[in-house]
Amino acid sequence: MVKPDSLLLSRRGFLASACCAAALPVLTPVSFAAMPGDNRFITIILRGAMDGLDLVQPYADPVFRSLRPTLALTAEDGLLDLDGFFGLHPAAAPLMPLWQAKELSFVHATSTPYRDERSHFDGQDILETGSTDDKALRTGWLNRALALIPRSASRKAIDINTSMELILSGPNEADVWSTQSDFALAADELRFLQRLYTGDAGFEKALAEAVQTDLAADGIYNGGKRGAAIADMAKLTGGLLRADYRVASFSLNGWDTHVNQKSQFRQMARDLSTAIIGLKESLGPQAWATTVVVAMTEFGRTARQNGTGGTDHGTGGVAILAGGGVAGGRVLGQWPGLSEDQLFENRDLMPTSDLRELAAAMLYRQFDITPTNLTAKVFPGLSFDKSSVYLRA
Amino acid sequence: MVLSFSTIAARRYGYGLKPGEQPAPDIDALMLQVERGTKAKPRFPQEGIMGRRETLARLVSVRAVEAKAAKDGRPNPDLRRETQRDADRLLAGDARARIVQAVSSENGFYERLASFWLDHFSVSARKSYVMRMMVPLYEAEALRPHLSGAFSDLLRAAILHPAMLIYLDQNRSLGPQSPAAAKRGGGLNENLGRELLELHTMGVGSGYSQADVQAAALILTGLAVDNRTFEVAYRPQRAEPGAQTLLGKTYGARGRSADDHLEMLADLAARPETARYICSKLVRHFVADSPPEDVVNAMVAAWAESGGNLSAVYRAMLEQKRSFADEPGKVIPPFDYVVSGLRAFGLDADDMEALLKGSDQPEQTEAMAMGMASGMAMPAKKKPIQAGATGTKLTVLALRRMGQPVWLPPSPAGFPDASDAWLSASQLTERIGWARLAARTLGSTLQPVDFLTAALGDAASDNTRRVISQAPSKVHGLTMVLVSPEFNRR
Repeated sequence: MVKPDSLLLSRRGFLASACCAAALPVLTPVSFAAMPGDNRFITIILRGAMDGLDLVQPYADPVFRSLRPTLALTAEDGLLDLDGFFGLHPAAAPLMPLWQAKELSFVHATSTPYRDERSHFDGQDILETGSTDDKALRTGWLNRALALIPRSASRKAIDINTSMELILSGPNEADVWSTQSDFALAADELRFLQRLYTGDAGFEKALAEAVQTDLAADGIYNGGKRGAAIADMAKLTGGLLRADYRVASFSLNGWDTHVNQKSQFRQMARDLSTAIIGLKESLGPQAWATTVVVAMTEFGRTARQNGTGGTDHGTGGVAILAGGGVAGGRVLGQWPGLSEDQLFENRDLMPTSDLRELAAAMLYRQFDITPTNLTAKVFPGLSFDKSSVYLRA
Repeated sequence: MVLSFSTIAARRYGYGLKPGEQPAPDIDALMLQVERGTKAKPRFPQEGIMGRRETLARLVSVRAVEAKAAKDGRPNPDLRRETQRDADRLLAGDARARIVQAVSSENGFYERLASFWLDHFSVSARKSYVMRMMVPLYEAEALRPHLSGAFSDLLRAAILHPAMLIYLDQNRSLGPQSPAAAKRGGGLNENLGRELLELHTMGVGSGYSQADVQAAALILTGLAVDNRTFEVAYRPQRAEPGAQTLLGKTYGARGRSADDHLEMLADLAARPETARYICSKLVRHFVADSPPEDVVNAMVAAWAESGGNLSAVYRAMLEQKRSFADEPGKVIPPFDYVVSGLRAFGLDADDMEALLKGSDQPEQTEAMAMGMASGMAMPAKKKPIQAGATGTKLTVLALRRMGQPVWLPPSPAGFPDASDAWLSASQLTERIGWARLAARTLGSTLQPVDFLTAALGDAASDNTRRVISQAPSKVHGLTMVLVSPEFNRR
């Protein structure tokens, strides 16, 4: 059901900031209802199971290098020291100024309550519904949160995607911005297509030829164009948040690095940096100062690298916090260690916190949603109160 | 992997599986689809057959008045433009309706046959202003009602419809020695005469000569299309006088008449070369690029025995073992890809209408077509479909990009039918793009493995099943179902 009122958007804000080609004026302007100094909240869903151990490497852990002979990096490889124990992947170097300005933190060894099956589909569903393990829950936690935001002007939410994603699906009103250009295929998506076509020579050949001759008019295979599209999307998101919206969500795909992770992860980390920097730039200093970005993934990846230069599905991983509204410059979380008895099922990084607690804390801080509502309605089964570690300044 | 009859029936002799629709369990059920489809009214032309004739007459009349005024120095370009827009809009609406027809019909085998004959007796809406509105009418009244009866009836209905006569220039053809030619010049046009032998009946290289082509063209002279009412009539002053000999038989020996071309059509329909050509073409389209001889022979026998009854021929085709053999098959053309993709999502006619709502705005360029929608997820099973530009992108625009725009074949020979014609780097890229958009727009409540079963039944290979279950996101899982080799071959 389409509600005409909710389609009206002020275009002046981000048109003035010369937004990307994807945003073209179609709708009539609407007056600003909200205050410029409002808090904003953005979720970035990293689909495919982002390898937290590659992004934020525990270089000082005695066991790390032995588990990942080729993926573990050193200062010589360009690993950027964060706090004497963890280092940031060199491809995320554009984020270092944020780290230094205390606008960036990481939470390590965290995950949703999802265990054991390590399925992308179920894992992403649980990430987006915010449930403990309830596959019947079909609404998103962020959607449920909207109704609980006391200030109505702060409830305007938008999903930057072709259609509404689960995280913002539900009984409360949220808008969708359908981007005009189609993203290039992510590296993991392309690899999956190659696997799909094994055994059918005709299709194998057609795909190989398409990638090779780089039918990049649509940029469907072109990695470089993908970066530009991500930058555009971040710019668009920032623009929308400077206008009427206060809550936004979008996804970055491509993290499923089973094979040849070195090069694929490098590209992905670069894309993630592009997205976060793009948000900061398009929001502008005033809005950025009160913005929180949470980037989260369905689960981490195996502590050991596999036989094809990659990693497989795991459990504990990393969440990223960015924005002026964040108490940054820290790697949060309780590090469990990587020895055999410290790993989860002798395979994955052991999660020592519930990722939902982080999201709850940020919703509490940005929008004053009460802890009671957060645990009863937004994240059923979560324990959360004001003593949460994520709320300490 | 042994496929069930139903899976093959739905995919090779229909537009694919659809959740909630029972696939045909046997040959009788498939033939019943042909019977029911013949009696059903198609969704185009949108105003119905009588309504379209009226629309045509009205718009042509308006144009004629404007043209005359222009000649007298009082042109009205706005009016002229408006009539053009009306015609284009009608065509676009009918094209959408054709897709909705194929997606929502439960008579898949009949719909596939309608597409086959539309391609066999190809005409193009690109030809002229009038044809924009007449081609959908042609399919609805000349082809669909006749494709289950005698081939001779189908042939006559197709060839003598004004759309065919206009498309292949018969309306401009005059006997060189005819009184009309003598009076105002002009002469013979061989287009229809040639295609009648080469494409519609006997097939190229089956033993007719250039002299036969010319004879056919001369026998056809006299046929005229009224440029206001579009009635087809025989006008003696346009006909080439004297007898003509085609393939050894003489026509018009006792003076020319309308009987000549009617007799010629009946004779061509009855020729053994025609039976063999049509049967081979059916097998090549439905079964394999190299038509297995035993299947063709069985169909030719059924043709002979039934006096050219097409239902008997279709049944004979279905009864051959090879017709249901589980072998990696032909790549499906774009229309079949899009239609079977939409069916796999379980879209019914109402869903399609909702998807296409708002698409009847003047065709926007890609840069302007922007989707902005409020998404509300219902707790119930069905999600409301988002309207607007996405509907166009998933239907008529997609077919244009994939090279098979509705009612716009590249030549009288129709669209390419060989398997490798539709498997190329660019085609695959388009299909992947389509699948991603469809997955995102229509698939938000679907699980990829369930969708695989809905779309392919038992036709999915183990590899495909495994890859899809491991996809890095649901959207990509759904996408891969649609671009899998199994979904694109039958």
